[in-house]
Amino acid sequence: MSLFELPILPTLGAAAAGGCASGGCSSGGCGTGGCGSAQAERTSENSRREFLKTATTLTLGAMSLTLLPGVTAGDDMLPLPPPGGDGHAPAAKPMYGFLIDTTKCIGAGKCLTACRVENSVPEGQSRTWVERYVHYKDGRVEVDLVPETGYAGSGEVQPAAEDVLRAYFVPKLCNQCVDAPCNQVCPVHASIKSPEGIELVDTERCIGCGYCVQACPYGIRFMNHDTGVADKCNWCYHRVMRNEQPACVEACPTGARVFGRIDDPDSEISRRLATVPTNVLKQHLGTLPLTRYVGLTDEVT
Amino acid sequence: MVFSVGGRMTGVAPTQGTLMTSFNDTRHLWALGACLAAVGLVGMAVRREMVPDDFGTKGPYRASALDDIAAQPSLFQADATCHACHESVEHERAGTSHEAVGCTHCHGLAVDHVSIARRGAEDPTVTLPPAAEWDGDFLTKTDLYISKDRATCLSCHQAVVGMPADFKKIDVAVHLEEQGASEPLSKETCFECHGGHDTAP
Repeated sequence: MSLFELPILPTLGAAAAGGCASGGCSSGGCGTGGCGSAQAERTSENSRREFLKTATTLTLGAMSLTLLPGVTAGDDMLPLPPPGGDGHAPAAKPMYGFLIDTTKCIGAGKCLTACRVENSVPEGQSRTWVERYVHYKDGRVEVDLVPETGYAGSGEVQPAAEDVLRAYFVPKLCNQCVDAPCNQVCPVHASIKSPEGIELVDTERCIGCGYCVQACPYGIRFMNHDTGVADKCNWCYHRVMRNEQPACVEACPTGARVFGRIDDPDSEISRRLATVPTNVLKQHLGTLPLTRYVGLTDEVT
Repeated sequence: MVFSVGGRMTGVAPTQGTLMTSFNDTRHLWALGACLAAVGLVGMAVRREMVPDDFGTKGPYRASALDDIAAQPSLFQADATCHACHESVEHERAGTSHEAVGCTHCHGLAVDHVSIARRGAEDPTVTLPPAAEWDGDFLTKTDLYISKDRATCLSCHQAVVGMPADFKKIDVAVHLEEQGASEPLSKETCFECHGGHDTAP
């Protein structure tokens, strides 16, 4: 018996009706054109209808099983944020912001050590880094990374001051995008946008596929060598939840990193953001970063 | 042959009432339905096993992960922690150019110092160990340090291309010449002119 003779293929019903000579047409009622074509079509139509009726009943029956309480995992198929007090508006949560003042950074690298120690980041990897942009008088722009010990401890050869038009440091850390690409691509929901708007990694659920590392347009995410799963700056979420400042902010000796609540108009960051012009990195991507910068130039991306 | 399609091709159009009887492959559909139901049930059982209980209660993630991450200990202490006991230092530093520089920059994380001191507040027999010897390994140990090594000062102040114009940049050779000092320098040479907590010369 060929597959085409099985009645579970309704669209082939007519073909099967016409071609039953190849199978066991035991009744022999209508062979190839043995009966009226209109009659054969109607019969074929009826069997198809029967099939559809039964199949639909079974399918709906199976689907209705999922509606039974206790059969599925719960009402979490399409999770929605919990409603607020009136049941409509989202609950009021503190909103945090990060301000980087590139005009104050001295490139001491204290924030790098602080972050590594606080978050046990393995050597050779970092959740945050500081770039130095050196604009030369001949038009070149060179970018290098501040060593963790600072330039003073590294003994690196410095550019000759007389060749330099302008130079400045740009600390980088997670931009905590409101519309975060890294969050959207996680296949196992290990990327968390916390109720406070901070992007976190659920290291227990992360399977280490690295898709989020590819997705972040700022290169913030990385695969932690020690844990084998994704790692990223989370604005020291554990400290923020205790009303403490992130470690890099504590460690910055010049106040180039400012962190605070942007929903509180009296906080330092709110005052600064309200009075000083700020920019975000790669604004054209539309990721809506919460990390804002003072003194960005077009060279910084 | 039970699978025969021709079996229902009797040549007579069945009437409305005999539709079911004329369709003789119903049990295959029931078998198919049973298979689908079995697959669905197994799928639901697997999903129930794999999806955490608290998934989706706060958003599309495991809700308890927030608590797990928030449980990470804080190593860095804010200056307020130090000033809670060392009030005089707070007054000494108030208004100086180094007021915003964290205690940890020169004294290390001092996590052990703080935890022992907190125990000592309740149990007078607990005494604080002396400050450890500075070895230049800045901020990577939990001990308390008292650093008067000039490397500590220069870790910020050594002149580097890229520093803001209004930052006090020190080129050691130039600075010493200005001050009329000369090599060889002691480790604590900065403190021969500058204070610790109030660093004005």
